[in-house]
Amino acid sequence: MNAFFRKLTWLARRSEKEAELREELRVHLELDAEERLEDGLSEDEAYLAARRSLGNRAVVEEDTRAAWGWRRLEQLARDAEYGLRLVRRSPAFSGIAIATLALGIGGITAMFSAFDAVLIRPLPYADASRLVMIWDDMGKTDVVSKQQPTPAEWVEWRRLNTAFTDIAASQPADVSLSGDGDPEQVPARRVTWTFWSVLGVQPALGRVFSEREDTNGAKLAVISHGLWQRRFGGSLAVLGRTIALNDEPYEVIGVMPARFYFMPSRDIDIWMPASFPEWMRHSFGWHDEQIVARLRPGVTLEQARQSMAALSLQVTAKQFPSAHAVTLVPLREEMAGKTQTALIVLLGASSVLLLIACANLANLLLSRGSARGREVALRVALGAGRGRLVAQFLTESLVLAVLGTMAGLALARPVMRFLETLVPDAMGAAHLTVDWRVLLFSVAVAVSAALTFGLVPALRGSRFAPGAALRDGGRGTAGARSHWVRHALIVFETSLAVVLLTCGGLLLQTFEHLRHTDLGFRSERLLTFETPLFRYKDFDRRIAFVNAEVESMRAIPGVIGAGSIDLLPFTNVSNATFYRFEGQPSSSVPGQVALIRNVSRDYLPVVGARLREGRFFDGSDRKTDAPVAIVNEALANRHFAGQSPLGKRFKFGSLGEKGHWYTIVGVLRQIPEGGMFEEAKPAVYRVREQCDQIDNLSAGIVVRTAVDPASIVAAVRLAIWSLDRNQPLARIQTMETMVDRQLSTPSQSTALLGAFALLALLLASLGTYGVLSYAVTQRTSEIGVRMALGASSGQVLLSFARRGLALTLAGLAIGLVLAAIAARSMTALLYGFQPDYLTTIALVSFVLVTVAALACFVPAFRASRVDPVVALRAE
Amino acid sequence: MGRSPSRVELLQGTLDLLILRTLLTGPAHGHAIGQHIQRTSEHVLQVETGSLYPALHRLEARGWIAASWELSNKGKRARFYRLTPLGRRQLTAEQSKWDAFARAMALLLKPLDKRTP
Repeated sequence: MNAFFRKLTWLARRSEKEAELREELRVHLELDAEERLEDGLSEDEAYLAARRSLGNRAVVEEDTRAAWGWRRLEQLARDAEYGLRLVRRSPAFSGIAIATLALGIGGITAMFSAFDAVLIRPLPYADASRLVMIWDDMGKTDVVSKQQPTPAEWVEWRRLNTAFTDIAASQPADVSLSGDGDPEQVPARRVTWTFWSVLGVQPALGRVFSEREDTNGAKLAVISHGLWQRRFGGSLAVLGRTIALNDEPYEVIGVMPARFYFMPSRDIDIWMPASFPEWMRHSFGWHDEQIVARLRPGVTLEQARQSMAALSLQVTAKQFPSAHAVTLVPLREEMAGKTQTALIVLLGASSVLLLIACANLANLLLSRGSARGREVALRVALGAGRGRLVAQFLTESLVLAVLGTMAGLALARPVMRFLETLVPDAMGAAHLTVDWRVLLFSVAVAVSAALTFGLVPALRGSRFAPGAALRDGGRGTAGARSHWVRHALIVFETSLAVVLLTCGGLLLQTFEHLRHTDLGFRSERLLTFETPLFRYKDFDRRIAFVNAEVESMRAIPGVIGAGSIDLLPFTNVSNATFYRFEGQPSSSVPGQVALIRNVSRDYLPVVGARLREGRFFDGSDRKTDAPVAIVNEALANRHFAGQSPLGKRFKFGSLGEKGHWYTIVGVLRQIPEGGMFEEAKPAVYRVREQCDQIDNLSAGIVVRTAVDPASIVAAVRLAIWSLDRNQPLARIQTMETMVDRQLSTPSQSTALLGAFALLALLLASLGTYGVLSYAVTQRTSEIGVRMALGASSGQVLLSFARRGLALTLAGLAIGLVLAAIAARSMTALLYGFQPDYLTTIALVSFVLVTVAALACFVPAFRASRVDPVVALRAE
Repeated sequence: MGRSPSRVELLQGTLDLLILRTLLTGPAHGHAIGQHIQRTSEHVLQVETGSLYPALHRLEARGWIAASWELSNKGKRARFYRLTPLGRRQLTAEQSKWDAFARAMALLLKPLDKRTP
């Protein structure tokens, strides 16, 4: 039996152990006395001598008990109990302490849950750190720096690369799922058979498809756990069942585990074999793949980058328009995206808030420590060692920390709901919860917080000469050094608050700027939705149907106008095209790439787009051999700086002989099609009817209403279904919702950082207030003497206010230096905007000094009202 | 606390060794162990009860000795301690450590005249 278990068993039969010890010592006394009797002492003398030789029996018992090895535990329990009693005895002090801690710990716990979900938690793939995404890098001049690769590149890379064990490609394939129940638009991907092995994932149920099935074009579907539950009630019979996807029969062969997800979105519900047609396997123009690869063992990311750079140039050497490079991005980085910086900054901010809370608490405890001088002196006089006292104080801090953590966890819950929208779409955790990881983290934080704010007061509080303290009657015993610590803490927390306020101010400015970004159209009272057009494979029928859709919208009461565009703004899909002007060589036009959007004639005026010059599309723009186009300012400025592009002719889409020459009839003010934070990109718009090559098999419909757009949703569905009962509608939402989603990361981070900054200001000024109040209380008699000697109340007020303000100004100065450093680390959150730094720090300084002045004034005023007679009588 | 000058304070850790060594001769209760050490050392070593019992319980917690209630030769039920196999091994180790220490001390403290070359 090893020592630890023996001690535990002893602990279990503890009262028995105690009785045994008492009995053992009693027997010892008897035996000792008997021996002394034999030596000739009288019975009384013998017993007395025996007892004297045993010494203090209680101490012997205590020391022996210590050998049982659970004295520490008992002490801890006793100190904790005493700590709890202290909490109850001074509810005001404890309330403030616990609330302060709850703010600090709640904030950091909530932030950690999001940080963990995005940046730490293992991704649901085997050895996910070896996975990288590969993108085409078409050069700086391109509209998209990270272009999606082509199926042909996947084929060639797989054949020739040396860096990866295998490579998988997937392309968008959102489908309409029909059969039992309403037709439903489901996010889906077509994936190569290598997808499963590259990610190293297994289905929870059934199987995935093989290379042969992929090549043969087998109609198979692997579905998500979510879809399985939602649509098939989690029934095992789903395997082998045939479902209709875009009206074609597919066999369900597998169900993925609940925690599986992959780029580009956790909402993907169906994975089908890619089954690239032969022409696509040779197409270097079909940029719609997302490619993920697993690094070969021993190959570093850098080596892979180099070998892939060479390979890509080699593979695309003879391809139009020119050879291009590739970009390799580790999967985690790709998924986290911009959120990473936001999360790091916010986690940093929440730890700063916690530090401020700790500084405040340390000050509170220091004040209480000196008020408890008498109690400590008594304990020392009764034999408590310094270590014992420190342990006791730290345990009391721990009790506060535990209570604060419990309150903090309650506070963290709603913040976590708020944070959920920060988790990128590509990642799994849509719901943040307090799980064991988060709990473990907050417990660790609580313990280190208790040590942080408890140690200095514990060391200080335990250092007493009992004689002096007892004589002093237990009033303040803090010396000059203690003031020094207190003041340093105030300067420290004030400077941290300045950092948070400055960063918050910068973010707020940026957010205001983003919110007022010119969208190039009016987003209010605009309903949008998408209608997939796979059922209309014939171009003319497709055009006819889209036009009918738009017409049917106009007939709905409350609708002012309607239009269609193949890709709604912010859809994150960058449909781009090369283009060339008349007179440019027909082969290679490197860098001449523009976004392309096919619209209905009314679309641009309906969304409220504005022209710089020229005209919108009108009724005369029909299917013709002399089509027209509208370009945006970015494209016009790139080629026609200072002159008008109207009337110029260019080709895009198909650049070859068959392609039409489009005449520019208008120049449009910029609409950020790719997303609000993308820089201005060249774009061309044309009427869908005038397409000279395959257009998109989808139509986005926009409806401008005079009423609340949400109120016509039912009528919109009815109108579309009256045209075609089986037509699915996807993503029905208002344009304002789409804009809000664009702004969600900056608005979330601004709101959070702002909240942290305000709380920091509050805590720091409470700290200043607390320290000054304490000083006033402590020095009441001194103030009395000064006033009795002729100091005016104004002089007393000034002397206290001056001290408080001096601390604040010191904090401000240090804080501004730190803020300058911190601001640099968050440039990524400023979205290229240059906030007015000087105004920000001026405003921060003003707010801080004002609040601090208030915090100083109250105690200083109280000092000035000290009645010398009362103060001196109290001596 | 008048202590006779001829008595020597026990060195840190020596009490454990002495207890183990005493129990080598057979089980004994606390009082007897104390007496035995005192007598055998010709009253040079004085074992304080305040150190003896904590030491006994500490050794028991480590598993070097075990305890049980038995009748003493005077007919009293007392807590008897005996050496465990683990304690026996520990004793050997401690003993050789002590021997080395004692030898070293003796070498260092040899009378001066014999040490001069």
